[in-house]
Amino acid sequence: MAEIRALGIDVGSTTAKIVAVDGWGNMVWHLLEQADPRVDEQVEWFLLSAHEANPELIYYPGKGVEGIPLVATGYGRKLVQQATRQVTEITCHARGMYRETGHGGTLVDIGGQDSKVIAIGSNGEVLDFVMNDKCAAGTGRFLENTANRLGVPLVRLGEVTLSASEEVTISSTCTVFAESEVVSLIAHGVPLQPILKGLHRSLIKRVVAMIRSISFIAPLMLSGGVVQNPAISVMLEDELNEKVIVPKYPQLMGAYGGALIALEMYEPKF
Amino acid sequence: MSAGDWLRYTWNVKYLGPAALRINRWLSEYRSRKDPRWNPEYLAPPLRTSFRNKELVGRHWLEGRYANLNQKVAWVTSGAPVEIFKALDYYVLYPENHAAICGTARVAVDLSSEAESAGYSRDICSYARTDFGTLFSGKTPVGNLPKPDILVACTNICQTVLFWYRVLAYHFDVPLILIDTPFVYYEEASPHALAYVKSQLEQAILVAERVAGKRLKEGRLREVARLSKMASELWLELMERNTHHPAPISAIDQFIQMAPIVEMRGDPVTVDFYAAMLEEVDRRIEQGIGAVRNERKRLLWDNLPVWYRLRYLAEFLGEHGIVLVASTYTNAWGELAPMIDPDGGLDAMARAYTYPILNRSTWYKLETMRQMIEKYDLDGVILHSDRSCKPYSIGQMDQRDRLLKEFDTPALLLEADHNDSRSYSEEQVANRLAAFVEMLGA
Amino acid sequence: MDEDQALSEGINIKKWNDRKNSNFASFYANMPNENGAIEMSSTLQLSIPGRADSIRSFKANGGRIAGVLPIHYPRALFRAFNILPVEIWGPPGIDPVFGSAHLQAYICSIVRNALSFTQTKSFQSVDILVVPHACDSLQGLGSILLDFVSIDQPVIPLYLPRSGGMNQTAFLEKEFETVYQRLESWTGYSPSQDEMMQRILNEEEADQKLASLHKQRKNLSLSDIEFYRLVRAREFLTAEGFSEIAQKAHDQVQDQVLDGIPIILSGILPEPMALLEEISRMGGHIVADDLACSGRRLYPPGRSQESFLRMAESLLGAAPSWSWGSPIQDRLEHLLTMIQTSGARGVVFYNIKFCEPELFDLPNLRRGLQELAIPSTVVEMDINDPLSNQTLTRIEAFLEMIA
Repeated sequence: MAEIRALGIDVGSTTAKIVAVDGWGNMVWHLLEQADPRVDEQVEWFLLSAHEANPELIYYPGKGVEGIPLVATGYGRKLVQQATRQVTEITCHARGMYRETGHGGTLVDIGGQDSKVIAIGSNGEVLDFVMNDKCAAGTGRFLENTANRLGVPLVRLGEVTLSASEEVTISSTCTVFAESEVVSLIAHGVPLQPILKGLHRSLIKRVVAMIRSISFIAPLMLSGGVVQNPAISVMLEDELNEKVIVPKYPQLMGAYGGALIALEMYEPKF
Repeated sequence: MSAGDWLRYTWNVKYLGPAALRINRWLSEYRSRKDPRWNPEYLAPPLRTSFRNKELVGRHWLEGRYANLNQKVAWVTSGAPVEIFKALDYYVLYPENHAAICGTARVAVDLSSEAESAGYSRDICSYARTDFGTLFSGKTPVGNLPKPDILVACTNICQTVLFWYRVLAYHFDVPLILIDTPFVYYEEASPHALAYVKSQLEQAILVAERVAGKRLKEGRLREVARLSKMASELWLELMERNTHHPAPISAIDQFIQMAPIVEMRGDPVTVDFYAAMLEEVDRRIEQGIGAVRNERKRLLWDNLPVWYRLRYLAEFLGEHGIVLVASTYTNAWGELAPMIDPDGGLDAMARAYTYPILNRSTWYKLETMRQMIEKYDLDGVILHSDRSCKPYSIGQMDQRDRLLKEFDTPALLLEADHNDSRSYSEEQVANRLAAFVEMLGA
Repeated sequence: MDEDQALSEGINIKKWNDRKNSNFASFYANMPNENGAIEMSSTLQLSIPGRADSIRSFKANGGRIAGVLPIHYPRALFRAFNILPVEIWGPPGIDPVFGSAHLQAYICSIVRNALSFTQTKSFQSVDILVVPHACDSLQGLGSILLDFVSIDQPVIPLYLPRSGGMNQTAFLEKEFETVYQRLESWTGYSPSQDEMMQRILNEEEADQKLASLHKQRKNLSLSDIEFYRLVRAREFLTAEGFSEIAQKAHDQVQDQVLDGIPIILSGILPEPMALLEEISRMGGHIVADDLACSGRRLYPPGRSQESFLRMAESLLGAAPSWSWGSPIQDRLEHLLTMIQTSGARGVVFYNIKFCEPELFDLPNLRRGLQELAIPSTVVEMDINDPLSNQTLTRIEAFLEMIA
């Protein structure tokens, strides 16, 4: 494996990720795990794993990897003591996506607990952004909750949704009330697929509203854990009449961007 | 206007349009007899005069479509001194009323989304969001809204209209007349408050004249005020007919029938309309027909209606023999009738426009409710805690408390929104109403 | 988790609680020294008396305290009756239970907290409560305080005109006269025109010094939180006391300018004050403000020799704001001028949730800024919520964007 020159760690609310890049900014190694509330333990584990993947690296527990700058991003970034710098996930996602696609655009990131839309300029800079960080109804949690309640495994959520030929409108805006509305529909014998499609529609509509609130720059791009649900990109494309670009590793864009920013701080030792 | 414009206006507004609306009315009346839309088991058939309401309102909006061709247009708040503008031959449009129509037609949420896309928060009044939605998208169920030549906002219904109309002024770049009516915290408005309102009315006339390009004739103003007073008095009488048992016209029906008194106050047709309705209501009283067939309990509704759930409410309550007999909202347009004084000049006008219930203390509203409970022999009150209407909703929690403790009248606090169905939870409302109904012993 | 468990897991609970509480280390829970004063930064030799201290010493001299809710009111009028006006902005971080028993959930936290505050021990030092009118919620609050919620103190409403014409000055004059009459019957005292004019001149001087501090803020070498502690002392000090401190600060103006990404804060008030520390930590620096409690209330001196008229003129001369019914264009121009003179690179609109007046103006203001390529972001908060991760991330991302 090529030599690791910089690291990026994204401590999200649902998952934690680490990405290592080489001197040219290519992604050479990564790890993705469920987020552990004990952030410092998880970060230690990540750094240890990085050392194992690249044994020439010298690793100091509690301090980080010698000579390798680390940028921490995400919800828990302030708790990463080993970080050389902490940068918000907005800036990091923009960098990661720009490097990945080679151009700017409008990035939609639907995470477990928040969602954001970022307008990325032709040089990878953040031109504008909008976040939904107050309400679960615009996030993956909205679907997850109800899917759980209905006994639909998350991995099958997208496929079941896309199989629906009809759709039921869910009018509740609140996640909790939407759940009771869904339960009520099931009790009245409404089949599962149209309900799931309606739920997805609610989420998509909320995301579209966010996209509309900033000036749209083509193309439309998608990142975040929810991308694993194929229904999301299909319905988003449909709603906006725009092709959606999904990167190879949609969940790693934040950590990747962080690593790229860290790379700028790398100083070769002679 | 050009010859072509004149032709378009005359043909559409004077001939084709009214004819179409008249035919539509006959069809509606016929259809209603064959297939009633409201549940006949619990509810009386709609008043025949209500079809004329649709025709009148239809004509009003039809005129609106072509108004820019024919006359100056004023967009006004529901509490504005409309008589001045009518007397200057403005076409008067009420964005609030248009928004209510959108609410009833269930298109308000769609329009609100347009406003939200333009950056407006969901925490602002749903009427304003609906209005902005039409502004930015052009979509409206009434065909087409004429552009305003002047905007008139009077704060006697709320302070929010001030901010709302500032947005409209920015968007249309036309003069905005503000009538700032100081809130009446105590029993009477202070003399300097009334003087302030009067001086603003004087200013308003000057600006209105300038934009209209003509002078306001005192005689004409007096005539319009007279018609306004007549219509308001008829409206008051109409509501007071509900002191009878059973009540002949429910408050829900009143919400719909109030359109002419709000948006065509000062027109001769409005006087005729309410006179005809009063006659029909009197016939019902003679025949002992109540709005609800098996009237067992009589309630008061406080605050704006829930425009997109009127039928549901009527049927749910009707099923249990409960009728909404009166409402502080519809009452607001009759309550001031005695204060309208065509010969009282601007002093009287200043009083009439400073004293609407929404410009008065929370104690005054409680007292008004108490008087209505007594007058109409009511068993309970539904307080609609309207998320979009803070001036009307603040105080309800204490009013509810006192209605129960001091007047021994059960009161339900119902959380909803007058125009945004997303702030309305079907389950919650049904539950609360059911519990309240049980509490009333109906 | 219980303390034993926590200790065994090596977590310091006290440190955790301290960290949590530090979010409420706001303006109202000032960390005073033994004299009750707040020490400022070591670069500036300044000591500001605390709120409680100011109240205590005024009362010790036989004066009374008027608790005043947002936004505008005639300070001089109260001082003429030997009443010290002390402003109540929230306060933040108090238990809103009482307020919630009378006000629905969609009423803003400033109004709800004000109502809740009337039930606290601190409020007992207030002798009379003044409720100015500005929006529907303050209107309703004033009304229910008069009608339904009984408190020991008399309540005085004050209507502020918004018609923008000549007649509004005449109205405000008369409204002040009415307040005079109420205070007269309450205190039994009738200050003369001369006495009032003297008070007016004191207040005008303090206001001028305050405006000067705002203009010179870059050269004061005070951090943002220190600056706001200084200027917000106007909310509870006597005019004379404030003038003295402002002068001391002014005398220590330096050439060196504090660095940091320059931004403007626009909204109602900078609470929790810990926000200001966070902005500094993130590398930002507030170079001007459009806050209802601060930058929007820099009153110019009046002109008339007649005291009521003079007070009205002064109040009505403040910056454009919805509280005076100002056109949006005026607000936008004011903001743009501010950006130009201060060199700010962006605007953070820091809103209180449910504050409708601000929300109506916002989209057009943002669009106007956008047309001139001036970035802005919106943050919403409830003054009872601690600074959330989300809020901080938003501001931080914005600073990264404009850096």
